[in-house]
Amino acid sequence: MQDEQLTVDLPRFGPCTFDASEVLEFPWGLPGFPDLHRWLPLNLDSHPTFVWLQSLDDPSVALPAVDPWMVFESYDPKLPAYAFTSLEIREASEFATLCVIVVTPNAEEMTINLMAPVIINLRTHKGRQIMLDSSNYSPREPLPRKAAEKPAASSKSA
Amino acid sequence: MLVLSRKINQSIMIGDDVRIVIVAVDRDQVKLGIEAPRAVPVHRSEVYEEIRKANQEALGAAPVASGKPERATLRPRTKPQH
Repeated sequence: MQDEQLTVDLPRFGPCTFDASEVLEFPWGLPGFPDLHRWLPLNLDSHPTFVWLQSLDDPSVALPAVDPWMVFESYDPKLPAYAFTSLEIREASEFATLCVIVVTPNAEEMTINLMAPVIINLRTHKGRQIMLDSSNYSPREPLPRKAAEKPAASSKSA
Repeated sequence: MLVLSRKINQSIMIGDDVRIVIVAVDRDQVKLGIEAPRAVPVHRSEVYEEIRKANQEALGAAPVASGKPERATLRPRTKPQH
C-alpha cells in the first residue's frame, strides 16, 4: 500500500497534491524527453477535455494531450508488438490512449499526433509513446479547435 | 562512430539479440534486414526525430491554461457501438 501524499509546486498550474500511487512511470521517457520518467496526468477544471502530462522530474515540462476518440472517432491505431511486450499489456481493457496536441503560436490551429499515441498500462501505471508501423496517421493532423473543446460526441449512448 | 565494412548477406550483431543483415545494395540505397526481440522498437531515424520535434513543440506551444489541477482519470477506450 503506497498512499503517500505528495505536493509539488508546478510552474504552470500552481500547487498540486497527489498520491504516490497515481504517478505514471515512463521507463523510456518520451522522445525529446528521454530522462523524464515520472509523469502525472492532470485535468484542469477549466478545460476538462485536455489531459496534461505533467513531468514530475522536471516540473516545467507539461504536454497537453487528448483522448483521440473524442476528436477522431474512427481512429484505429494498430499497435506494434513492442507496445504490448514492453508495457506487459494483456488485454485491450487495461490500457489508455492519449495523443499529444501541438498548438500553433497564435493558437489558431491545433494539431494532434496520431502517429505516435501515448499508451498507458492502467494496471502497472507504465507508459510509453508508441510509433505506429507503416502508419497512415500524421504526427501533425490538423484538429478543428472547436472539436477539441466540445464534450465527447461519442458519449451519446452512455 | 564505429564503421564496419560488410558485403551482401553479411551481418552485424548489436548486443546478444539484435542482428542487422545487408540484404541488397543498389547504387546509393541499402536494404537492411533487422532481427530484434519483440520488445525492441525499430524505426527509421527520421520518424523518431519527427516525434521528438513534435513533442518539444507541444511543450513550447502549450496554451496558457489556468484552473485547479486535478488528477485525470484515464480510461481504456470505450466502444461507441455498445
